[in-house]
Amino acid sequence: MTWQTVARKDFEDVIRSWMLWAILGVFALMMGVVAIGADTNDTAQSGSALVYDLFNTLGGELLIPLAALIVTYMAITGERESGSLRILFGLSHGRRSVFLGKLCSRLATMLFATVVLLSITAGVILYIFGSIDLGLFVQFAGLTLLFSATFVGIALGISAMTGSRTRALGGVIGVYVLFMVIWDTLVAILFRITQGHFPGLEAPTWYFLLQRLNPLTAYREALILLTDNYIWAMIGSSILEDLSAEEATPEALMLTNRVSGDLPFYLTEWASVAVLLAWAIVPLAIGYWRFEGADLN
Amino acid sequence: MAAIETNGLTKRYGSETALESLDLDVAEGEVFGFLGPNGAGKTTTIDLLLDFIRPTEGSATVLGYDAHEEPGEVRERVGILPDGFDLWERSSGYSHLEFAIESKGNGEDPDELLDRVGLDRADAERNVGGYSKGMLQRLAMAIALVGDPEVLILDEPSSGLDPHGIRQMQEIVLEEARSGTTVFFSSHILGQVSSVCDRIGILDDGELVTVDSIEGLRETAGIGSRLLLDVDEPAAVNAAALQDLDGVTDLSFENDSLQVNYATDAAKARIIHRVVESETAVRDFETEEATLEDLFDAFTETDAEAVKEARRVADGDGTASDSETPPADDTADSGDPTVKTGDPAIVEDGGGR
Repeated sequence: MTWQTVARKDFEDVIRSWMLWAILGVFALMMGVVAIGADTNDTAQSGSALVYDLFNTLGGELLIPLAALIVTYMAITGERESGSLRILFGLSHGRRSVFLGKLCSRLATMLFATVVLLSITAGVILYIFGSIDLGLFVQFAGLTLLFSATFVGIALGISAMTGSRTRALGGVIGVYVLFMVIWDTLVAILFRITQGHFPGLEAPTWYFLLQRLNPLTAYREALILLTDNYIWAMIGSSILEDLSAEEATPEALMLTNRVSGDLPFYLTEWASVAVLLAWAIVPLAIGYWRFEGADLN
Repeated sequence: MAAIETNGLTKRYGSETALESLDLDVAEGEVFGFLGPNGAGKTTTIDLLLDFIRPTEGSATVLGYDAHEEPGEVRERVGILPDGFDLWERSSGYSHLEFAIESKGNGEDPDELLDRVGLDRADAERNVGGYSKGMLQRLAMAIALVGDPEVLILDEPSSGLDPHGIRQMQEIVLEEARSGTTVFFSSHILGQVSSVCDRIGILDDGELVTVDSIEGLRETAGIGSRLLLDVDEPAAVNAAALQDLDGVTDLSFENDSLQVNYATDAAKARIIHRVVESETAVRDFETEEATLEDLFDAFTETDAEAVKEARRVADGDGTASDSETPPADDTADSGDPTVKTGDPAIVEDGGGR
């Protein structure tokens, strides 16, 4: 197999990208500011959940998806557009080797970057609290690494499907806007159409399931369940939900309190894992299928 | 076994035809020139050979392996220098070569490859982002040579190269040919293939117009060379007798000079002999060799002209007089599929050589 050669070569190129290091730098800086400025009253109240909350906003909603999308979207498109794919073909690397090699290299890049983010986070927790709940942190780390891989999968799928930079860029920006802004709105509108009113504090489980299919929500809800602390989304579904300011407390917004009875399995943290896996694999599969059958000029 | 063989190879994009039913047979060890203007379908053909794109109809084999069914076998045996490519700008020339050698090499020495293509070792230390087009071209040539491929496919290899670079590139082609490598050499500049290629195929607008050696092409096109004679009294020359000479295709007077076109070198001496023997004195004479560009025009434009003529006839206003530029000979023969252009008499003449 020749994909290892492609992967190694690609990794050496990507790791030299200034953008990746800029993203890591921004994250380290912001986390550092938080650590130094941490208010002792707040930390005493919510414990390390505060840091995880911040991580979701900074890493989960912004840096990880954006970094994964930007680091990956040109992986295959770029070779196609510049013509260097012909050189790869001439060096006996076929479509599968290029696809697999690129996937491994970009995955390795993003997992490496995510490990750096996680280490900084662990450091901040230790700095503020002097100790760390290892069990919780390991689960959080595993979830975050999967989350990171999910966006690599989406971006590589898009990259394999498109032949030009503009289209690939449009694709990844579209995907991010969809997850960040449009998804919850669509689900709320769907609810309005079928039920005649916008969802209130309590809603049927299918409404929450549809929300959960968004990988950003899947990650956030899993983190809420893990830390047992509500985490606000930057652009949340609550805008369209029929909630009064008094009733929309973090406590009330916990999914466990919005669904009657126990959480069904499809709203647990494991459901989130399944959603993230599906988002990693399905775009990859479609991308590979399209790349395999495409005219590459 | 053929190094490259295509059967009815066709590529269409929607209603647009990039390549129409190409039948090509390149023998092992041959240097084959693939000529055509930009957009004729040369790169399309090369892309089909590497399974970069898939044929609409027909098939292609490289060294007996089907290009689409067994692309891996093909790629292992083929070295390619593509047209219009960028390399990985954050890597040095050396790391490109190391990657190439790791991919399909036989443990080559990067320095030897650099020397062969004339790329400076100090330059090879730098990232290729700062390379000129010519340097990129040389590096890509070195990459193509890695693994000592049995077939070397070069798409416009001289683009971006200065005359010295072009000569070096042609030397590499000849060296490779001597060692038994088949070279498939695409270009839109005839002068660059004539000196290295055994045979030349001319592609125009997706269709193969002809395949022949340079000499054969010249004869078939009927645009041999030209003899210019400066004579005292042109009227004294027996034009009809000259016209009847074997190998003479055309004759005209211009001021004091007599211009005779001929297809075979043997005709040249006969023309001079005849004129010297006539009543008038020959003050001077010179010959003009047909350029390859003339040849190329004869094949591609005559064909286009014939098509236009056919359309005109089909449209019902078959006045040949409105044809702006008369083709190399005339369009009367375009109906004969075996002779694309030229006077049949010349083809017969040329056949003996």
